[in-house]
Amino acid sequence: MLMPRHILHEFEHALDALRADVLMMASLTDRNLQNAMSCLLDRDVEMCAIAVVDEAEIDALEKKVDAEGINILLRFQPVASDLRQVISAMKLSSNLERIADQGVKIAERARSLAMEPMLDDAVALGPMFVEATTLFRDSVRAYADADVALARGLNARDREIDAMNRQIARELTGCMSRNPDRIEDYLHLLFIARYLERVGDHAKNIGEDAVYAAEAEDIRHIKNSLVA
Amino acid sequence: MIEPSITLPTMIEPASPAQTRTPQQPAESARAAFNVRSLSIFYGEKAAIRDVTIDIPEKTVTAIIGPSGCGKSTFLRCLNRMHDLVPNTRVEGEALFYGSNIYAPDSDPTIIRRKIGMVFQKSNPFPTMSVADNVLVGLRLNGVRKRAVLNQRLEKSLRMAALWDEVKGDLHKPGMSLSGGQQQRLCIARAIAVEPEVLLMDEPASALDPIATMKVEELIRELCTDYTIVIVTHNMQQAGRVSDRTAFFYMGKLIEFDATERIFSNPKEKKTEDYITGRFG
Repeated sequence: MLMPRHILHEFEHALDALRADVLMMASLTDRNLQNAMSCLLDRDVEMCAIAVVDEAEIDALEKKVDAEGINILLRFQPVASDLRQVISAMKLSSNLERIADQGVKIAERARSLAMEPMLDDAVALGPMFVEATTLFRDSVRAYADADVALARGLNARDREIDAMNRQIARELTGCMSRNPDRIEDYLHLLFIARYLERVGDHAKNIGEDAVYAAEAEDIRHIKNSLVA
Repeated sequence: MIEPSITLPTMIEPASPAQTRTPQQPAESARAAFNVRSLSIFYGEKAAIRDVTIDIPEKTVTAIIGPSGCGKSTFLRCLNRMHDLVPNTRVEGEALFYGSNIYAPDSDPTIIRRKIGMVFQKSNPFPTMSVADNVLVGLRLNGVRKRAVLNQRLEKSLRMAALWDEVKGDLHKPGMSLSGGQQQRLCIARAIAVEPEVLLMDEPASALDPIATMKVEELIRELCTDYTIVIVTHNMQQAGRVSDRTAFFYMGKLIEFDATERIFSNPKEKKTEDYITGRFG
C-alpha cells in the first residue's frame, strides 16, 4: 500500500535517511560475511584483514542509526507505522552489527586456519554458509519490501541451519578423533559453524522485526509451529 | 588455604504494583456510561456530525481526536445538551446516559448538566467571585446552604483538583488572581463540586504551559477512578498519555474507536493512520 507523504517534509527526510542507513549497513554486513567466507574457503588472508577493518564502518553506522532513531523520537514523536519503522530500524541495526561481529570472528579463525596446511574438511561449511547468507539476505529483503510472508518463513529456515550446525559438529568431532594432531584447526571449524548458526539466529530476528514493522505483530517467542 | 568469603548481592525486590490505574489498563467495569446510537446533529441544514454510534465506558478516559471542523466538540457538547443553547440545532438518533435518552422530551437539561459537567478550553472562573465562591456556586444554586457541608465540599473539590495546597490560604482572593493553570484546575474543582458522574473536557490544557498541562493530565488520570471523562484534544500525545480509549472523527463521522494503545500503534483504518502520522492533506 502506497503511503501518502508526511505533511512535515523534515520528518519524511529523517525517516528516509534512517532507512537508507539501515540498508547500507545491511549491504556492508553482507559484504563482510562474503569476505570472511572467502578467507576460509579460498584461504585469502587479504580478505580477512578487509573483513576486520570493515566492521568499524558497520559499528559507526549502528551508532548513527541509533542517534537518528532517537532524534526522530525526540523531534517528531512518531506513532503507528512511523513509530514501528523507527523501532524496527534500531533493532535491525543491532542485529546487523552482531552479524558483522560473527563475520569478523569467522575471518579471524579463517586467518589462523590459512596459516596452517590446507584442511579439506573446511569445504563442509560451504553449504551452511550459503544457507546462512541466503537467510540473511532474505531477512533484509523482507524488511525492505515489507514482505511479511517471506519474513514468516525465516524461522523454519533458521531451524534447518541449526540442524546443519549439529550435523557438522558431529562430523568434525569424528574428524578430530581421526586427526588428533589437527584438533585446534577442527575447533576453528566448529566455532565457524557456530558463528554461521548465530548469523541464522540474527537473520530470524530481523524477519521478526520486519513483521512488526509491517503489521505491528510481535511473533517473537511464539511456538515454532504457530509461526512457521 | 583460607577460603575467600563471598558476599552474595541482595536480591532486588520486585516493585509493588502502582496505586493508580495507568492508561491502557482496562477498567474493572466495562459498563457503558453512554450508548450513542445513530446520532446526527444539524446546524440548520448542515450536518456537523453524522450517524455516530459509540459506547463510552464508565470511569475511563475517552479521548476524541480529529482535524478542526470534524465535529469532535459538537459531539462532546451533545453529551450534556449544550446544543440546546444554539438556535437552529436539530438532533437525530439517541444518546443514552445509563439507559436514559438525554434527548427524550421529558428529560431535564439542567439535571443532565449537573450529572454531566463540563470544562472548557479557556479557564472561565467567575470574575467577581472568590476562589471559594467559584467552587461553591453550583452547590448554592442547587440550594445547599449548610456551612459545614459547603466547607467540606470546598476542601474536597479543591483537593481532588490538586489545588488545595496551593490556595488554602487564599480562598477569599478573587479566582481571577490565580495563574492560568490554577484557574483551569479551579474550573475543574467547580465542575466536580456538584458531584457529577461525567466530566466533559473540551481541550482543557490547550491554553496552558507544559507544567500546568502535566498537572491537569495527572489530575485527569486521578479523577478517572471516580468519574467518566471524555476529553477533546488536538494534542495527540496528550490523548496517548491520558486516555484509555480514543475516537477519531473526520468530517462529522466517527472513523475509528478503539483502545488508545491500538489507535496509536496499529489503527485499523487508513484514514486514522494518515491523520495520526501527519500524512493528511
